[in-house]
Amino acid sequence: MSNRRSRQSSSALRISDDQMIDLVSKLRVLLPEIRERRRSDKVSASKVLQETCNYIRKLHREVYNLSDRLSQLLDSVDEDSQEAAVIRSLLM
Amino acid sequence: MQPTSSMKEEFLKKWQMGLQIYRPLIDNTSVSERRKAIKLSADVAMASLRKGTTCWSRALIQKTATEDNFLVRQMLSGIKAETLINKKLPKVMCHRKIVRRSKMILRRRQSRSAIEEVAAKARKLVKKKTQGLRNVVPGGEFMSNDVLLIQETLDYIVSLQTQVNVMRSIVDAAEAGSERTAYYLGKLKFAIEDG
Repeated sequence: MSNRRSRQSSSALRISDDQMIDLVSKLRVLLPEIRERRRSDKVSASKVLQETCNYIRKLHREVYNLSDRLSQLLDSVDEDSQEAAVIRSLLM
Repeated sequence: MQPTSSMKEEFLKKWQMGLQIYRPLIDNTSVSERRKAIKLSADVAMASLRKGTTCWSRALIQKTATEDNFLVRQMLSGIKAETLINKKLPKVMCHRKIVRRSKMILRRRQSRSAIEEVAAKARKLVKKKTQGLRNVVPGGEFMSNDVLLIQETLDYIVSLQTQVNVMRSIVDAAEAGSERTAYYLGKLKFAIEDG
């Protein structure tokens, strides 16, 4: 019984090569680095997955940095000043 | 697919709404509190673009709700907020220990050719990288199906690109606007004093 269950979840983990190729090609379209490289169909699936992880982490960092810049900006500006009004009109 | 202008517009509106909610707090808090507020509003705005249709967006909303329940409820329409926050995510479907153990048993029974070894190694590497992906996509731990995981990843990336794109434009504009205003105010003041 436990064998059956594990076999089922094991097949859920493996996906067919065709599906993988299709999805990997879609990922390649989104990833800037791989797109820039010269046409090479031989980019391996694991490489694409790694680049995807790196790219997502990069985007996370960027969101963090942008939030930080914005909060610093709000901090540096006097609440009643014209500058604050300009910023507020953009944000709120 | 790319971030469309309608996605960007919608994100901006929702993000602005979130910042409005924080407005009374924004003036009286520390820089790091403010940064957190800005980021949380941006995340809810990004997740709400998908209106609960993707796993990552539901997971992100739930995660944000644990950090600021009030904000999430305010930013999503009342009824929807309840269902999205309380919706149960599927239980983890794959019991790795069982799978690993049964695979070990199978492996002992087989003898492999060199080609099979290489293929097996490649599959193992892909599995490892796929697991890495689960760690960065919200709700990834609930996606035992690899096809689902990659579909969600594709959508998540496009949404992140939208988020970054809009935030970058706004922050650049805000910084420039602030400098320009200060500059022109300075010039004006100088002109007035000069007479």
